[in-house]
Amino acid sequence: MTRTVTRYLGLAWFLGGVGLHRLAAYRTDFVLGAGAFLVRVGIQTAVVGLVFRQVPAVGGWSYHEVLFLLGFSLLPRGLDHLFTDQLWELGRKLVQRGEFYRYLVRPVDPLFSLLSERFFHPDGLGELVVGAALVGYAGSELGLTLSPVQWALAPLLVLCGALLHTSVKLLFASLSFWTVTSMPAMYAANQVSEFSAYPLDIYHPSLKALLTWVLPFAFTAYVPCSYLLTGTTGLLGWLPVVTAGALALALSVWRRGVNRYEMTGS
Amino acid sequence: MTARLRRYTPFATSGLQSLLQYRSMFAMTAMTAAAGAAVTVFLWRAVYEGTPGRGPGGFTVSDITTYLLVAQILQVLHTNRVDDEVAAEVYRGDVAVMLVRPVSYPVMRFFACLPVVGANAVLVGLPVLGLFALLVPLSVPRPADVLLFAVSTALSVLLAFCVNLLTGMTGFLTTNTWGVRMVKQSVVAFFAGQLVPIALMPGPLAAVAKALPFRGMVDGPLTLLLGRYDGWTDAAGLLAQQVGWAAALSLLCAVLWRAAMGRLEVLGG
Repeated sequence: MTRTVTRYLGLAWFLGGVGLHRLAAYRTDFVLGAGAFLVRVGIQTAVVGLVFRQVPAVGGWSYHEVLFLLGFSLLPRGLDHLFTDQLWELGRKLVQRGEFYRYLVRPVDPLFSLLSERFFHPDGLGELVVGAALVGYAGSELGLTLSPVQWALAPLLVLCGALLHTSVKLLFASLSFWTVTSMPAMYAANQVSEFSAYPLDIYHPSLKALLTWVLPFAFTAYVPCSYLLTGTTGLLGWLPVVTAGALALALSVWRRGVNRYEMTGS
Repeated sequence: MTARLRRYTPFATSGLQSLLQYRSMFAMTAMTAAAGAAVTVFLWRAVYEGTPGRGPGGFTVSDITTYLLVAQILQVLHTNRVDDEVAAEVYRGDVAVMLVRPVSYPVMRFFACLPVVGANAVLVGLPVLGLFALLVPLSVPRPADVLLFAVSTALSVLLAFCVNLLTGMTGFLTTNTWGVRMVKQSVVAFFAGQLVPIALMPGPLAAVAKALPFRGMVDGPLTLLLGRYDGWTDAAGLLAQQVGWAAALSLLCAVLWRAAMGRLEVLGG
């Protein structure tokens, strides 16, 4: 058991290094990707700024509280991005072009083998840095002081949020085993995750229910931020349950998909 | 002229046929669009909540809802896949095959994207509009404004085609067109007024947005739809600005395409 874990960690480290070497080879691509990401977050922040030019509070949240939420939502997303972006390739073309078999013939778990092709995705690093900067800035403007328990829980909240993002992505990417390509479905799910950057209180009740219990993105930022900002636990107790449930569901769909995979001929 | 244009109709019809192979795609696009619209609609509705009558920028709650919803639908019409397909064909070198055909590649692309726009309007735009009409109150425009909006939307589709073609052509310069496309998407969405109506931007920013061609893609058509103009001259001015930009960008596309063809190198195989 320990030997397996050490072996996987060693492999992850080595393959992550390979990924970083690729960055050096395609430097302009890296700059473009990271720059594109900065532009996107910059515009998101500008929209929040323009909204708060009109009113002092939205759905009971002040400007800096919304910035805190926006920044925090980038942390689990960035962490997930860093390790699992190869899933987009699965949804897009790996099944369609019959290329998936190469993950089945390697002497490691197929999921690890797939993900490890793109460890340390640079865009994820960008998200983590920008997210942390926004959280730090908004937190200090709010004069936020966290209790020791909150400090201890904060990394776990980010980790759970990342696992939720991964679960949703894995589930929709695995659909491609049945539908050949599931890119549009993945794209739609990804679009839904954008809701997590704003307070849940502003949405229509049906949308709130969807984001809490169907595609549980509310648990990636809204629930943790409510806890960190106000100390109210509310839905926090559900967070580990929802994370574990989503992960179990996604992994079982993935496993069924892998088992029914048949390579295209020729 | 008509004979030359008739040469392009097969591209439009074959585009439609290949599109209808992937019908589930429309359901997904509709879901994505509905989700995208919901983010901005509910964010801004929270701002206008509790303001009876006209709030910031002279919008009522139903005005701002209509604006942001139709803005998202326009964005769907503008997603004509020209940017990624041109970039991919340049990247793979497939574009060389096009050069031996007796048609102009950009014009062919334009005709091929028309069915995509039409199908998106009917199969995505209308259902999303219907869904929101059930959930939130919308403004009902005057018939004359609907007509102006239709003309303006047609021009916005041409503008979006040019912007996407130019974006796709960056494939001649870089392999990471994904990054370029993402920048284009964010910048266009912002300056077109899709996320924040230009009327709600602070002075200098609004001036920049009004001077850029992207305004004609979302804010222009919606200004006409909601009747937010001063008389016919103002409306005509908005349309004229769109026509001007459409002509300028088409010319730019033609010039840059010719220049790119002059230095194109494709590996044989």
